[in-house]
Amino acid sequence: MISDKLKNAILKELKLDDFKIEDETKANQIPGWDSLNHINVITAIEKDYGLRFKAIEVLKCKNIGDLQKLVDSKQNK
Amino acid sequence: MTEKTIWQVWSENTEKAPDSDAIIHWKAGEEPFRWKKSELLETAAKFSALLKRNGIKRDQVCAIIIRHHHLFYPLYMGIVGLGAIPAVLAYPNPRLHPDKFRQGIIGMSQRSGLDFIFTEKELEPIISPLIKSSTIKGLHYPMEWDLNQEIPSAEMDELTAARAEINPADPILLQHSSGTTGLQKPVLLSHSAVIQHVEYYSKSIELGEADKIVSWLPLYHDMGLIAAFHLPLTFGIPTIQIDPFEWVIAPVLQLEAITAEKATICWLPNFAYNLMADKIFDDELESVNLASLRQVINCSEPVRAESHRRFIERFVPYGLNSTALATCYAMAETTFAVTQSKPGEAPKQVYADREMLKQGKLKLIDDPSQARICVSSGHVIEGCGVKIVGDNREELSSDSFGEIAISSVSMFDGYRNYPEKTAEVLSDGWYYSGDYGFMKDGECYVIGRKKDIIIVAGKNIYPEDVEDTVSKVEGVLPGRVIAFGIDDEALGTEVVCVIAESNITDEKEKKELRMRILQATLANDETVGRVYIVPPRWLIKSSAGKPSRKANRERIDEQKEFLVV
Repeated sequence: MISDKLKNAILKELKLDDFKIEDETKANQIPGWDSLNHINVITAIEKDYGLRFKAIEVLKCKNIGDLQKLVDSKQNK
Repeated sequence: MTEKTIWQVWSENTEKAPDSDAIIHWKAGEEPFRWKKSELLETAAKFSALLKRNGIKRDQVCAIIIRHHHLFYPLYMGIVGLGAIPAVLAYPNPRLHPDKFRQGIIGMSQRSGLDFIFTEKELEPIISPLIKSSTIKGLHYPMEWDLNQEIPSAEMDELTAARAEINPADPILLQHSSGTTGLQKPVLLSHSAVIQHVEYYSKSIELGEADKIVSWLPLYHDMGLIAAFHLPLTFGIPTIQIDPFEWVIAPVLQLEAITAEKATICWLPNFAYNLMADKIFDDELESVNLASLRQVINCSEPVRAESHRRFIERFVPYGLNSTALATCYAMAETTFAVTQSKPGEAPKQVYADREMLKQGKLKLIDDPSQARICVSSGHVIEGCGVKIVGDNREELSSDSFGEIAISSVSMFDGYRNYPEKTAEVLSDGWYYSGDYGFMKDGECYVIGRKKDIIIVAGKNIYPEDVEDTVSKVEGVLPGRVIAFGIDDEALGTEVVCVIAESNITDEKEKKELRMRILQATLANDETVGRVYIVPPRWLIKSSAGKPSRKANRERIDEQKEFLVV
């Protein structure tokens, strides 16, 4: 389940009013989330949560559900 | 003219140093897969045999659609070794609608005459419908082939004999130069063109036996295929190949590879300088050492001085030599490079009056505040010639501003099965590039394009494609759309802008329309950065009755209230 906080961080960075984001949603299905914008979105999430991801950790995320799990695991540390 | 084929050159390189690295296949979080020259060539020969068993014949075009995989390289070489013609095609981006992907392949197959596709099982549902609707005779999944089987020596001898029949003037590969969807232009290159290019270009970058190439560039692009794959393989030095999909998510991978392997040369499109300078954080750089790099060559997008400045500022503390930054002007039609800056010297810069440039005139000035900074792409390399021509292809004085025309010993013979397009660009041994620029003190400055192509992160996007897509979106007046690119200094590349006429006036509905436009273009793998919704009859028409890109682009600059966010 994608939290409102994660969803809002993504939508805000991509300047989208709303877009359905579920566990299985892939980054490239979200308008504006392309290769050039990818790092901006990740940085925005890091900033909102006060976290840092390693590049390899982000590489392993296959969808937004995996990204949510990554955020959760970092927060629980 | 060279008298060898590429396979002969590869064999000689292997005989000289069979146990040295040829290709280091890089994968994030894993030990790299190292191809020694001897193992690589043996596997390539095995692939030739298996290809033959599968019915592939000399001169047939074999498209390869495979994501970063260590077997890609011997497969490609095996196709060459059989006398067939490899054509590397882009792996479909998941965002691209399968119909759009197939439409692109069908268009290519009509021109290129693609005979077979070599791909992964995973892509079967997307690609198999093509068999009935194109020239493609069959699909193959070479990753599934048993490479441990012994090939009888008689079969290998037969292949060796057939290989001896291949002529240096025969085609070795087919690349696709850019074009609107379905109309990419097939460029066929011969063994001699590639070998000669390697010979001349390696001199211009002072390539030596101690060099090691590192690249994340896709191999369907000339910069990836020729500069970062054929050049090292033919010269006999190692190349480190990084997955482009992984690099764009984690650009630090390239710096890790440079550090670990002491790589010396890479080619990058301009946006990569900004991406790496701005988006790799200090904690990722702790063990990075870039002292081995002697050339970082900017190519395939207009070179921006600011991008070089940022890159130097960011990475000199990590061992980068600031004079390692270099520039090159290249295209698939001339095999690859036409000009190259001198190794060890920072590319020259001149200031051109911005207002004069808008009028198509060149005036060099001293005051940078009124100027566009133009970065030199270097001197013309051996075997190539450059002239600047006017609207009627009349030769201008070399310091005039005009279209860049090129002659080259490694010139293509024309677009395959596309005589009308060939006639447009090739005349009396000169290739008319469609790029605008000028020469100064023997160096070439490339500063614009004749056509309205938008280059986003090294990828050419045709405004016509975007306009066609947006025209079909509900709420947009059909045909009343223009698309164009604008410079984004922070990204170091262009972003796509759209102006669409619509009857919608409600602000909430405009936002919904913007979302529909973003989703429609997303399915074509085109990211639109800005959407302007304007009322009916707002767009200025050209004399041909079509909305004019140039005039409307200038008009929207002054009427930003139409931007929908």
